[in-house]
Amino acid sequence: MSSAPLLAINDIGIRFGGLAAVQDFFLHMPPRSLYGLIGPNGAGKTTVFNLITGVYQTQTGAMLLEGQPLGGLPPHRITSAGIARTFQNIRLFGDLSVLDNVMLACQLRAKNRIAGTLVRSRASVGEEAAIRMRSLELLDVFDLRARADEPAQSLPYGHQRQLEIVRALATEPKVLLLDEPAAGMNSGEKRQLAQTIRRIRDEFQLAILLIEHDMELVMEICERITVLDHGVTIASGPPEQIQCDPKVIEAYLGVADDEGAEEQSSKGAEEK
Amino acid sequence: MPSNAAHSPIVLREADALRPPRGHALLRGIGPLLIGVAIAAVMQWGVGPFVGTYVARILLDVGIAIILAVSLNIVNGLAGQFSLGHAGFSALGGYAAGSITYYGSLILWNSSVKHGGPFGAGEWLFVAACLTGGLVAAGAGFIVGLPALRLRGDYLAIATLGFGEIVRVMLQQTGDVIYSARALEQATVNDFFPPPLGGSLGFSGIPTYTSLFWVYLFCAVTIVVAQRLKFSAAGRAMVSIREDEIAAQAMGVNITKWKVRAFVISAFFAGVAGALFAHESGVIISPGDAGFQRSIEIVIMVVLGGKGSITGVLLAAAILSTLPEFLRDFAQYRMIIYALLLIGMMLLRPQGLFGNHEIWDYFKRRRKSSS
Amino acid sequence: MAEFLQTVETSLAVGALYALIALGYTMVYGILKFINFAHSDIVVLGAWISLRIATEVLPKLGIDPRAAPWWAGGAVLLASMAACSIIGFVIERTCYKPLRRAPRLNVLITAIGVSLLLQNLGQLDLFFGTQPARMPSLLPNTPLVQWEFGTEGASRRLVIGLVDVVIFLTAGTLMVLLELLVYRSKLGAAMRAVSFNTETASLMGINVDRIVSLTFMIGSALAAAAGFLYAMKYPGLNQPAHTIWVLLGLKAFVAAVIGGIGNVRGAVIGGFVIAAVEQFGAFYISSNYRDFYVFVLLILMLLVRPTGLLGSTVKVKV
Ligand SMILES: Nc1ncnc2c1ncn2[C@@H]1O[C@H](COP(=O)(O)OP(=O)(O)OP(=O)(O)O)[C@@H](O)[C@H]1O
Ligand SMILES: [Mg+2]
Repeated sequence: MSSAPLLAINDIGIRFGGLAAVQDFFLHMPPRSLYGLIGPNGAGKTTVFNLITGVYQTQTGAMLLEGQPLGGLPPHRITSAGIARTFQNIRLFGDLSVLDNVMLACQLRAKNRIAGTLVRSRASVGEEAAIRMRSLELLDVFDLRARADEPAQSLPYGHQRQLEIVRALATEPKVLLLDEPAAGMNSGEKRQLAQTIRRIRDEFQLAILLIEHDMELVMEICERITVLDHGVTIASGPPEQIQCDPKVIEAYLGVADDEGAEEQSSKGAEEK
Repeated sequence: MPSNAAHSPIVLREADALRPPRGHALLRGIGPLLIGVAIAAVMQWGVGPFVGTYVARILLDVGIAIILAVSLNIVNGLAGQFSLGHAGFSALGGYAAGSITYYGSLILWNSSVKHGGPFGAGEWLFVAACLTGGLVAAGAGFIVGLPALRLRGDYLAIATLGFGEIVRVMLQQTGDVIYSARALEQATVNDFFPPPLGGSLGFSGIPTYTSLFWVYLFCAVTIVVAQRLKFSAAGRAMVSIREDEIAAQAMGVNITKWKVRAFVISAFFAGVAGALFAHESGVIISPGDAGFQRSIEIVIMVVLGGKGSITGVLLAAAILSTLPEFLRDFAQYRMIIYALLLIGMMLLRPQGLFGNHEIWDYFKRRRKSSS
Repeated sequence: MAEFLQTVETSLAVGALYALIALGYTMVYGILKFINFAHSDIVVLGAWISLRIATEVLPKLGIDPRAAPWWAGGAVLLASMAACSIIGFVIERTCYKPLRRAPRLNVLITAIGVSLLLQNLGQLDLFFGTQPARMPSLLPNTPLVQWEFGTEGASRRLVIGLVDVVIFLTAGTLMVLLELLVYRSKLGAAMRAVSFNTETASLMGINVDRIVSLTFMIGSALAAAAGFLYAMKYPGLNQPAHTIWVLLGLKAFVAAVIGGIGNVRGAVIGGFVIAAVEQFGAFYISSNYRDFYVFVLLILMLLVRPTGLLGSTVKVKV
């Protein structure tokens, strides 16, 4: 960790009623890093994403992106500051076409003058064409261009997850947060996804924080891993260190049955 | 090494190169409006004189209904904000415009009757009044849009409904219309508090400037605006709010800004429609025009047409505003039929006649499948 | 002083009416999470059915509605409640049940459709027609209490009418019964379970459809009671599609929102709050703006505390 952190998260946390969903959470990500966030079900991983992206407001601590504070910003400002995310339970705009989903995200970086739109000024037409072109390019990250005109909701589950990633990339983020992108995939698809995640990091030059239940995948591609259990960070370090950390083993072995059950149920979902 | 990317977004790198040639852009920009002017002119001089006053009046009502429904569709169909106050905006616009032409005419020309011929001074006063009516309504839309930020679904429906009722009650409390230029001269400050807009009897005496030309011109403008919004960054932003507010925010959409914009734009055209209605001959606008039953009639048009489908809503508005004329003998069954339509639609085809699609999408698809 | 007490007295009677109607809105919202726009039309039905029973059925039974025995009012009330709860049941089964999984907005629009349908069916000559009618006073509207205030010559009177007392007591009894049902009975526990989480409730073996139907029936019966009592207080009944009914329903709905929609006790509190605001505003400021106060209160409430007085905030899970 020689370079200055791109994203610095210090001591954030939130309680829901009596439940401390996340507490004392720290994370420093250098540019172009690929970190993992793991933990048993209900550990608070998604909640961390929600805190970073402003969906929930942290009750303690501070967050900085390139030295600029993010605390208290509404979600859309955080996205324009350069943090994009995918959702664990897919949240595409189902009625919009695949292409429109991406174009919506792309237009964040455009001017979108409403007067220009209404009079159809040259600038606005050019902008719209540029947005379309860029969006189609981005669809190529996952070979989705052929389905550009279909409504997003008609895509198969796996493609919907991919579209979520494309959509997040389209906002031109500096940090990308991926929430269980491999859910419901078989091992071949997972391996391919691992490649793609690495490629995205290199091609788009961004830092990636990955939530994933598949240990093999996480251990393979992540440089550092943070482990959450009951909202508390129980370990943090490079994969080799995490693998033999007794606390992690205990947290996972303690819920090993759950893990098996989880895998089963996600397979079930896939079959449907 | 601070990369340049932070300053010039990747998306826009090609934007300048992709600008269309000037002439082409101008044509695409103004063309639809010219077509609108042509249609309006045909309605006024090609159709109006030959169909008789009865049919001409129905055509006026159809045009106004289209403006109302297409504009409601911006906030309701595109942005997904269920508003039950559209008639309130419309009535505000109507009263604002009506008071401008009525009292303006009394001051300028000592009489409230129509002044000047086609495109004469009186008619331009009327056009200015329509636009002002739109602006007044848009202002109200801004005020109503603000609570909309915090409220979703049925709560918003109720708040907008409350707004319409407030407008209705306020209009009821206005004072008697001042009937002549002489009386206006002699009027004291007291005569303007409450404003002399006719109270519960309605605002009578507004000059009758509304013609097929102006109705269909504004109709064309409304449709062009709605269409350009729908197929643009603005439309995507609005639809994303309708589909999933949390995901929309995560994509950087400022949902607050867009909800307010949707309300303001939609209210503006509702106000214009109200202004056109106020100046129709044979119409006396009254507080009841702001009420929630009138709002529901417009909602029905949007629901039947399909959320977000401009052509669908246009068709629904045209059908539903002519239907009563055919059902005149069954007047008491008309609303029953509406009600059954509404319920049946929700049970059998909740997305409306055309769903999210425009009518031409169906022709395209058929062509595709046949080839 | 007399005016003040008189306004309090009216607020209590009118508030009881609002509360009864608000309960129906809030119960349906609690379980199905949509605004039952057609609820106010059930109130209308309750009032008009009471009127028809009093003017047509009672004479056939040999009872003169103008000099009815004390129990006739109660009988009319119960008959009207029964009729409306059956209507409520039918509406729920035919119009709302098929939409159990549809977006809430669709259900809301359906409810608007049902409301239009009821209003306009009611207007047909076959049913109640388009003319106002007069409800026979089943109760002698004698002032129960009259107090004189102030000095001779400038004296003011406080009158507590029998009708107002009956309204307050009837509504109060019904509300207590409902409270017992919801919070003290097994059925009420099932209702609360369904309201809390429909899916879990059905997994626990609760017959959700039955509970929903029951909720509609109870809500409609309360609405019918409100309609009957309204007709007792204001015997000149307007035709079913008259805006006055829409306003009555809207204000009761506002009461439910103010109290915290979905919350049974909140609806009762909201009913009295709305009535007080309306009556005091009408008396002390201007009666022209009585609807205005209520809707302004609604909008203020939605801005300051959208969940109402007793409602609780729920954070959306992402
Ligand atoms: N809005 C909320 N209100 C109340 N509790 C919440 C909310 N959001 C999350 N929680 C609780 O916080 C805890 C952490 O949830 P979170 O979704 O972050 O877990 P997770 O680690 O992502 O689990 P999974 O692997 O199943 O996705 C859970 O107990 C959850 O029920
Ligand atoms: Mg999660």
